[in-house]
Amino acid sequence: MLGSNVEIKNISKFFGDFQALDNVSLQVKKGEFFSLLGPSGCGKTTLLRIIAGLEQPDSGDVLFDNKSVINIPANKREVNTIFQNYALFPHLTVFENVAFSLRLKKISETEIKERVEKLLYLVRLEEHKNKKPSQLSGGQRQRVAIARALANEPKVLLLDEPVSALDAKLRQELLVELDNLHDQVGITFIYVTHDQAEAISVSDHVAVMNNGKIIQTGTPYEIYESPANNFVATFIGETNLMKAEVRETNEEFVRVFAKGIGEFECYKDKEVKKGDKILLTLRPEKIKISSKPLEGLNSFHGIVEEEIYMGYQTKYFVKLDEGYILKIYKQHVNYLLDEKIIHWKDEVFVSWNPNDSFIIEVEEN
Amino acid sequence: MKYVSGYTLWLVIFFVIPLIIILSFSFLEKTPYGGVNFSFSLEGYKSLLTIGYLKVFWRTVWISIISTLITVLLALPAAYYIAKSKFKNLLLILVVIPFWTNSLIRIYAWIFVLGNNGIINQFLRFIGLIDSHIQFLYNPWAVILVLVYTYLPYAIIPLYASIERLDNSIFEAALDLGCSKRKAFFKVLIPNIKTGLITSIIFVLIPAMGSYAIPDLVGGVNSKMIGNEIARQLTTAKNWPAASAISSVLTLITLLGVILFVRNSKKEVLN
Amino acid sequence: MNPGKFSRLITFLILIFFYIPIAVVVLFSFNASKSPVWVGFSLLWYKELFTNSYSIWKAFWNSIIVAISASFVATALGAFGAIGLYWGKFKGKDYIWIISYLPLIIPDIIIGVSLLIFFVFIKLRLSLFTIFIAHVTFSLPYALMIVFSRLQDFEYSIIEAAYDLGATEEIALFKVIIPISFPGILAAFFMSLTLSIDDFVITFFVAGPGSTTLPLKIYSMIRFGISPTINAISTLMLAGTIVISVFMRKYLKYIF
Repeated sequence: MLGSNVEIKNISKFFGDFQALDNVSLQVKKGEFFSLLGPSGCGKTTLLRIIAGLEQPDSGDVLFDNKSVINIPANKREVNTIFQNYALFPHLTVFENVAFSLRLKKISETEIKERVEKLLYLVRLEEHKNKKPSQLSGGQRQRVAIARALANEPKVLLLDEPVSALDAKLRQELLVELDNLHDQVGITFIYVTHDQAEAISVSDHVAVMNNGKIIQTGTPYEIYESPANNFVATFIGETNLMKAEVRETNEEFVRVFAKGIGEFECYKDKEVKKGDKILLTLRPEKIKISSKPLEGLNSFHGIVEEEIYMGYQTKYFVKLDEGYILKIYKQHVNYLLDEKIIHWKDEVFVSWNPNDSFIIEVEEN
Repeated sequence: MKYVSGYTLWLVIFFVIPLIIILSFSFLEKTPYGGVNFSFSLEGYKSLLTIGYLKVFWRTVWISIISTLITVLLALPAAYYIAKSKFKNLLLILVVIPFWTNSLIRIYAWIFVLGNNGIINQFLRFIGLIDSHIQFLYNPWAVILVLVYTYLPYAIIPLYASIERLDNSIFEAALDLGCSKRKAFFKVLIPNIKTGLITSIIFVLIPAMGSYAIPDLVGGVNSKMIGNEIARQLTTAKNWPAASAISSVLTLITLLGVILFVRNSKKEVLN
Repeated sequence: MNPGKFSRLITFLILIFFYIPIAVVVLFSFNASKSPVWVGFSLLWYKELFTNSYSIWKAFWNSIIVAISASFVATALGAFGAIGLYWGKFKGKDYIWIISYLPLIIPDIIIGVSLLIFFVFIKLRLSLFTIFIAHVTFSLPYALMIVFSRLQDFEYSIIEAAYDLGATEEIALFKVIIPISFPGILAAFFMSLTLSIDDFVITFFVAGPGSTTLPLKIYSMIRFGISPTINAISTLMLAGTIVISVFMRKYLKYIF
């Protein structure tokens, strides 16, 4: 199977007075695993339905391999969808569900049998082919939906929160399976989710959406490590946001003053000048926590306000002398052999590399 | 839209238009052998304002309300018991069988038991307690008895359905919080089955208001209801405007009743 | 919370209340005497019913003809109506719901009277055909609601899935929508059958000479007074009802 590249051009969509999509454009490369990530109501599902042809945009265009498909109805588009609730046909067996689209074409019975069995083998459901959807578990149903959507050999597969109905552990397993499946079939996957961990772990590229707009597009690494703004920084993973004022600047770094923390250096991610008010982000796992100050880093003194032991890591909330409460995640590489295990109410030093705190928003003076 | 058109067309032609026709006929002049003259007249409504008619209207209303009250009061504990019983499927079938049984047969059963020549009178005569008969039937209370008998399954089933849907833990929570069983029934059960209660009241009250066969067969001269009056105007008296006028008033009363009732109950739920 | 003694007592009293009159009717259908004093077991009244009651059987067959034809039409129109309301996006849905609920909250007698006046007005002779029209009319909203309630068990995305997989509207209708609503369609058909066979009041108004149905026949027999033949018919109809009730139990959830 071969995928298509998908291009979305200036799509807008209103539902009554509510603007679901506001001039959205994006490009998905052939064979890519692309995620649309955003909170509920951000327009990601509407965008997916427009790509599927289940919804018409008010303006804009959808192109597959540089050809507009906007006038092609859903039942003729070379794209198939895995619905959030799977939408399996309850009156048909697993086999017949998968065979549904094949039976609509003039294909011989032997070829249908061959192709359906191949797909059922791919999703490991050969033994269940004569069962009805109601006799299957959640994970099995999802795999039927995948096989059914792939039966038509679409060039693009759309996945609408396909694992959200499952429990956490199964979710992880199926995500890995989806990733493997993507490698095997090689077609374009467009995956809609509100779960940032899902999007980051499986995608080649992620588009973060909010209020009907695309906020940032990039690789999972780019999205996590250099969020474009406050929204992306807080939506993807956890972070410490700090308001600060620029004191001094040089080539690479900025010296800033933040109320509640003090003066420190951060990476000059954006062009700023003295007196600008800025917003900084600092991921909690980038901060070191120790009983002595560390050389060459931004280092502050504080007291552990809260300690949450999680097994693989401990979360600390440290109140700095000036009042700011900093979130810190300490990974347990060798917990019991640490020089000193830090506990609640301990006096500590928190330190981070100036490279790890950077500017996401600037308000010019 | 095309799928709905057959359905809609049928209901418009055979339900909406006939309703409009009787409403308009109620404002026309009668002709002696049925039918109407197409000139405006309020005679149909004027005849309703006689003492005799007001009495029939009043009787219809009180018989219907008392029957509904008795029916729902009996249905509530029964529906509750069935919903919580281990044998609910069997009990439900036992309630559904009379529901599906032909209504005339159910009326006949009471005539057979309580009639002047019914088994009770025959038995009393047989053991020599009476000479002729005791008249159990042909009074408003006989009408109420048969109405309750006929519509009790209609009231039990929606109540059962809404109680069955309720999460049992809300009662446990109420008892846990120190509510007595009786209080839990009124403070927790009743407010939560409002829809079922409304449905069952409507299911009983409306057919009772429009009953014809029951007062006709087990009611006496002093227990005729509006339904019987409509039939008499239509068939023996051949007064179409009067029959139309009574029908229009009855329709209006039930519609207004249902709308006000449903609206008020909704408000209470919101409060 | 376990139900108390009070509700159990009421339930059993109600069941006794339900079944005593019916049981008495059934018992006396096997009585050897014409008057309701038990003399001895006999099948006399069944013999009478099966050999000597031409008009009862004519009424019975009239009822069957009307019930089956009216139920077919009502189920077909009602099912398509439900599918349209579930599937389509169009203005005026609210009005269709209003004219669907109205027949349920307007007393039967009004439907009967208005149809009678309507038929006379358009000069349609009263016959089995007018009974058929009346029965379709009062069964339609039930059929619609039963099928609609079945369809509501499914999310709309099932139709989108059919389109997505390449189905045209006809294929989505015949391969997906109708098969999944089938239990509802069956329930609607049986509900219409029962309503039709049971109806007395509406039929009473729209029946013409020679188009007597079984309830009309029973009504005129009751007016003549009690007779063991009525007991025999009642017993047979009751037996039929029990069979249908047991069969219908599975579909009951679409009816309420």
